[in-house]
Amino acid sequence: MQRRSFLRGLGLVAAASAVITPSMVMAAEAPTGPNALTIEAALQAITGGKAVVVSPLVHLKAPEIAENGAVVPVTIEVDSPMTEDNYVKAIHVFATKNSNVRCADVMLTPANGAAMLATRVKLGTSQAVMALIETSKGEFLSASQNVKVTIGGCG
Amino acid sequence: MQIAAALGLVTVAGGCARTVPGTNPAAFGLKDLYDFNAKGKVTLLHMCDLHAHIKPLYWREPSTLISAPNLVGTPGFLCGEAFSKHYGLEPSSLDSYFDTYMDFDALAEKFGKMGGIAHMKTLVNEIKRQRGAENVLFLDSGDTWQGTGVALKTGGEAIVQAQNYLGVDVMVGHWEFTYGKERVKELIGMLDAKFISQNVVGNDPFADEYEELIFEPYTIEERGGAKIGIIGQSFPFTSTANPKEFTEGWSFGLRLDTLQEYVDELRDVHKVDCVVVLSHDGFSVDQEVARQVNGIDFILSGHTHDPSPKPITINGTAIMIAGSHGKYIGRLDIDIQDHVVKGYEYKLIPIAANIIPADPEGVKLVNELYAPFDAEFNEVLGQTKGTLYKRDTFHSTFDQLINDAIMDEMKCDISFTPGYRWGTTVLAGDNILMDNVYEMCGITYPNVYTFELKGARIAQLLEDIADNVFNANPLYQQGGDMSRLGGVTYSITVGAKVGQRISALMIGGKPLDPKKTYIVSSWGGNLQNAGENIQEDKIRAVYDVTRDYIRRHKMVDVSNTGNVTLLDYDCGCPSKGGGC
Repeated sequence: MQRRSFLRGLGLVAAASAVITPSMVMAAEAPTGPNALTIEAALQAITGGKAVVVSPLVHLKAPEIAENGAVVPVTIEVDSPMTEDNYVKAIHVFATKNSNVRCADVMLTPANGAAMLATRVKLGTSQAVMALIETSKGEFLSASQNVKVTIGGCG
Repeated sequence: MQIAAALGLVTVAGGCARTVPGTNPAAFGLKDLYDFNAKGKVTLLHMCDLHAHIKPLYWREPSTLISAPNLVGTPGFLCGEAFSKHYGLEPSSLDSYFDTYMDFDALAEKFGKMGGIAHMKTLVNEIKRQRGAENVLFLDSGDTWQGTGVALKTGGEAIVQAQNYLGVDVMVGHWEFTYGKERVKELIGMLDAKFISQNVVGNDPFADEYEELIFEPYTIEERGGAKIGIIGQSFPFTSTANPKEFTEGWSFGLRLDTLQEYVDELRDVHKVDCVVVLSHDGFSVDQEVARQVNGIDFILSGHTHDPSPKPITINGTAIMIAGSHGKYIGRLDIDIQDHVVKGYEYKLIPIAANIIPADPEGVKLVNELYAPFDAEFNEVLGQTKGTLYKRDTFHSTFDQLINDAIMDEMKCDISFTPGYRWGTTVLAGDNILMDNVYEMCGITYPNVYTFELKGARIAQLLEDIADNVFNANPLYQQGGDMSRLGGVTYSITVGAKVGQRISALMIGGKPLDPKKTYIVSSWGGNLQNAGENIQEDKIRAVYDVTRDYIRRHKMVDVSNTGNVTLLDYDCGCPSKGGGC
């Protein structure tokens, strides 16, 4: 238990340090308002207009209904051999209806051994959470899931 | 059944006997309730949503049960005439009295009260006598510890004693958690049954239980020479439906991926003969669970309070749910041969307190448990002119009485009462006891809060609540009814998109002004967290507010005219495809 908790703790730190801040967003993405960025603009900036394919290789896990919209656990795993000639280069996470949709960009190398990311995202409203995967072959794969954010209150 | 059905080897009997049609209810007797086409060697007994009703009560089923258009007329959204037609009930029969609202008052005179642990126990004893106690397993889908004054005043302990007396073997939870984590653990310590859940996991990174299961995910019980694997599924939305502080550090959710892993583990590693999911997901959600998870033989469901006389089968999984408030026990006989479920027989048995005699030991236990509170609970607060009941999608009379009481005391523009499905029924002309008030609102967070909300926010909150009730995808429903609103009228298009369902929203007879600040009172939810300027001096328990109002009025005469106009259906219990 102790060791597992410790390792999980490390995992969290690693994931957290990979989160970029809005100020790091590339100038080319041209925010439309104070700290605003649409999903279309964000995808365009990353893919340069290349097609994004919804893929069963990308496994995105998120709750159907958020227990707390401020910290929604999201896990992304990609089926990939992670070898020199075929690996996942990057995992991007989006909250598609937040005013700034970009939540996390994580860069990977074959040395990572597995393409997996667990993090928490903040959701302003009910919306789809999306993962965009960039492979070493230059393909873009995606998966998304709706997460409902509600004040709740009816038992 | 899972495997056999997949191979097409047997036609599952899909057994369901019902109590004999009651053209002559007077001739109807105990033998008809006990009568069962026994099958195989194993019997599972199932109850759900007792809501702490250890004494018999009246409980009227809903006269409206509105859903998203795609779910209209499906089990889980049937009531009244549509229910009667779907299950082939005889008018004015005992089944009709138990399962529908039709002719309720007249049939209540004829058939009397429902449920009560002393009457349930007599039935359990009889089934154990028929089958051999060692072949019977008693499963409880939760919402057992909360819902009456005696439960509230004893912190749930009275009900744990009742479960031990009944001989419950395994349970899961929902309202149980509103006693708080520490008390839940204490009560589990007193409980003879096992408390299991595969979908409650620690989420506090600084706690030892981080990402660990809080309860055992499953148990394996041997009955009638067979190994039965039972996986627990507590209410997936406990932390959004009830205050988070009770379960801080525990995360819920459906967790279908791990559910599938445990099903596989039970079959592949433990070689069980039958996989049962004991669930508090709700009847509609569990139909979706059966579609998405493979290899479950039976789901014994709970939460949505549906009496379902016939099981429904989806993807090789038979799903049953046994009503609420102790009104029924479901009996499931399973025929297991060569480690495979070959067939089953099911009967939803109504606990008719005038037909099934009380076990004297149970009567004694109930009296002992109530004795310390008799003086308070038996106070006659007043009388009701019409029948007071809970349920229905938008409006029911006992909720209206609570809203009337709150608006009278708090001088608010709007009162919100939660759309729970538990409570009680008081017949027209009967006395209202303090015990009845606790049956309607005896919760561990009873405060009525009075605060300010902007019109625009009120409209948005109503849309949000409507989407929890009417979402077309069962996985996004929370299984309650619409919040009951005092001081408000509105129209609703259930099938409209999220955020566009509600129109003609009027407050105090005037159209809602999005910019105006309204005074709102609310209890039993989280709405006060969205409000401003909470009036601290007005905070008071809802059962005290309601008690004082009834005492002042002596005779209450509550309108049974709803405050909501439904635009896309023309009646309360639509059949498949809409209409009546």
